[in-house]
Amino acid sequence: MRARVFVTLKPSVFDPQGTTVGEALHTLGYRRVTDVRQGKYFELEIDAPSVDDARRIAAEAADRLLANPVIESYRIEIDAAAGVPR
Amino acid sequence: MKFAVVVFPGSNCDHDAYHAAKHVLGQEASLVWHKETSLGGADAVILPGGFAHGDYLRTGAIARFSPIMAEVTAFAAAGGPVLGICNGFQVLLEAGLLEGAMLRNRSLHFRCEHVHVRVEQSDTPFTLLCRIGQTLRIPIAHGEGNYYAPPDVIAALEVNRQVIFRYATADGEVTDGANPNGSTNNIAGICSRERNVVGLMPHPERACEPALGSADGLIVLESAVAAMKRGGFPKALDLATEGVLRK
Repeated sequence: MRARVFVTLKPSVFDPQGTTVGEALHTLGYRRVTDVRQGKYFELEIDAPSVDDARRIAAEAADRLLANPVIESYRIEIDAAAGVPR
Repeated sequence: MKFAVVVFPGSNCDHDAYHAAKHVLGQEASLVWHKETSLGGADAVILPGGFAHGDYLRTGAIARFSPIMAEVTAFAAAGGPVLGICNGFQVLLEAGLLEGAMLRNRSLHFRCEHVHVRVEQSDTPFTLLCRIGQTLRIPIAHGEGNYYAPPDVIAALEVNRQVIFRYATADGEVTDGANPNGSTNNIAGICSRERNVVGLMPHPERACEPALGSADGLIVLESAVAAMKRGGFPKALDLATEGVLRK
């Protein structure tokens, strides 16, 4: 199954890239875009017997490597239908 | 004294550090590939600048899992002096040997220029010969040197005197204008609570000979040599408390 991991900077952490992208959008005329935060997106194909198991593995991977807990937080979605069928 | 300079795939200041230790200071030095599992009996370890693993994922995030890092962690835990320069500092942060994290420079520019840093503390193996308040002119070259830590961690770093270098003017004044990357409290370098692990964004190894535009950085590695001569760190702390100053 597939785990989708979304890593974003914590709200309290300044995001120079997101701010710059937001300014570019304003230059393009998107005045109604009031804020941009840039993050990272990972797709993990996981060989796991259950959704809970896949979620546990993805969370451990995020804790250990994908996200830096000092500045980032993450969210996980599990798609049991995606990926290579068992 | 023997320096070990760790080489990650993408390190590009490894030979600068090796040259400074071996040819400028006349010490023993060896390059240690990141897949090695021994530091070869080194007295001090340098994690050099560069772009380990292409800075993929986050700066230093992959390098922290290199086999040699288990040795570096054990060496640090035993009190051995460890210096992380630029990317090496980022590796130490990711490895949890130093607190905090790096954000993109607030300007988003890759800053490559000489800056001034003020020495805030002399009781580390890499600042023993410095005078508190002394300014050093050394180069920076980084896109992610915007030091960040949560407010409670910053407060603890300040209380424990773990901020070792701050970006400052040539006169040693800590101003926002002298801050090249947006670092909290103008922080350019910090040390561990036990003070034997030091990380800084500027490159002292690139400022060890007048021909390079500045030799101010030499005192960082000279301090480690002086510490070793006095029986290692923290035994050599009397050097700092005596206010020994060579320059």
